[in-house]
Amino acid sequence: MLIVDIILGGLILGGMYALVAMGLTLQYGVARIMNLAYGEVLIAAAFASYLLFTAFALSPLVGMILVLPAGFAASWLIYRVLLVPLVRRAKTRDALEVDSILATFGLLFVVQGIAFVLFGGQYYSYSYLSVPITIAGSTIAVNRLIAFGFAVALSLILYAFLMRTRTGTAIRAVAVDPTAASLVAIDVRKVAGLAFALGGAMCAAGGVLVSMFLTFNAAMGVVFTMKALIVVIMGGVGNLLGALVAGLLLGLVETVVARLVDPGLTLVATFTLFLTVLLVRPTGLFGRTGR
Amino acid sequence: MLEVSNLTVAYGLHRALEQVTLSIGQSEIVVILGANGAGKSSLLKAIAGIVPALPGKRIVLSGQDISALPPHWIVEAGLALVPEGRGIFGDLTVRENLRLGAYPERSRASERDILERVLALFPRLAERLGQTARTMSGGEQQMVAIGRALMSKPDVLLLDEPSLGLSPLMCKELFAALARIRESGVSVLLVEQNARQSLAIADRGYLIETGRIVGEGRAADLRDDPAVRRAYLGGASGDVAAASSSFH
Repeated sequence: MLIVDIILGGLILGGMYALVAMGLTLQYGVARIMNLAYGEVLIAAAFASYLLFTAFALSPLVGMILVLPAGFAASWLIYRVLLVPLVRRAKTRDALEVDSILATFGLLFVVQGIAFVLFGGQYYSYSYLSVPITIAGSTIAVNRLIAFGFAVALSLILYAFLMRTRTGTAIRAVAVDPTAASLVAIDVRKVAGLAFALGGAMCAAGGVLVSMFLTFNAAMGVVFTMKALIVVIMGGVGNLLGALVAGLLLGLVETVVARLVDPGLTLVATFTLFLTVLLVRPTGLFGRTGR
Repeated sequence: MLEVSNLTVAYGLHRALEQVTLSIGQSEIVVILGANGAGKSSLLKAIAGIVPALPGKRIVLSGQDISALPPHWIVEAGLALVPEGRGIFGDLTVRENLRLGAYPERSRASERDILERVLALFPRLAERLGQTARTMSGGEQQMVAIGRALMSKPDVLLLDEPSLGLSPLMCKELFAALARIRESGVSVLLVEQNARQSLAIADRGYLIETGRIVGEGRAADLRDDPAVRRAYLGGASGDVAAASSSFH
């Protein structure tokens, strides 16, 4: 059934977008780092899953136990080593944004270059649970369903952590007003580093899940950075629920266009939706004016 | 309780504060009076550590030198600032704002007790714990800001123009609350334009003009001083220099 095909496919794609965008919105909304190397981290995680699966026959879902902490640690290190000097010298948050764009643009090429040296330019994929099952007349691979389930679960865990815990509330406080956060004894730099690392872990999770059913190569990171950025801006910077809704929406729209119109027009659909949202609500679906 | 000496703040070439020295005793309310741009906000921000001061200053809180500490450690040392414009987290609920107030280690263990006391002080907040802070009235937001500062169990509370933009009735409530806060053993340093009401609850006051302390005295004396009355208590066009001269 076509309609079920579209809804399932759209939700799965949108779930990935949402998960990946939630990580970026943490980095951008809380740490104020516009991380252009974000997609590179995602691809690195995808390659890590590939290696664990082909070399050690480790299921990517089990591999997540290694890849997620590694993504967290690597992002934390990037923040401490590469970005803290920028944070220290930046007079305003806007200055930090510009500096971080330049620094992470450089980082993008470093990570991508390493990936090219290690893996070359060809496409990679592996076959994990690519068993078809039928849901309401629509046939779909099990690995996609599992990836979607994990994306939903991880998003919910992140959301609960931010809403329910003291540290999560501190992260949101820094996103709203860093000066006021320091007045309630929050170590703003530490919390920003934590948010950046947490975003990196979400990004790595996205890489693992995507690698289960997509082919990927060393040059593909920028596609994910761009999509995540579009979703973050559509949802409103720093807004997790916004990222979730905008991610699902984008996935559905792209799938509808690909299935009903022409697969070559998905990028057109992406940007039409993006521009429409920006024209109607410049601060995003859930953004506030004048932040 | 709090002793500040030789505090100088400069923004580029402009000196906002020039070698300010002042002190606040235990359970004392001290008010700082001065015109707009006299350096009152810079003074509070520099004490709280969110505006850098020039070398040579010394700020001692309960015997501990806090001059070189970053802002989040100054809160841990027992000093809380309610900044100009309140600085509450507008996107968060009242409950979340208050809970964040108890983020410092010094107050975490007794969060529940302090929250009870804060809600007793501002019963209106108890009814609105779930409300998003941004959607409240100015007076209620000021209560959230003061409540949040009290949640850190401060020894010294600094307030930057808390009565700004409040209705007369709200002002009265606010100053009554400050008096009760002092009764609970907290020292209060208050920057105010509302000289009449702040001098009514204060023990002592300082006069500040273009970044310098130009006078100080007991609140009762300041209230009765003709020059202060002229400058700050609704007399004709204020002559601050005349006000200060009587204290030198």
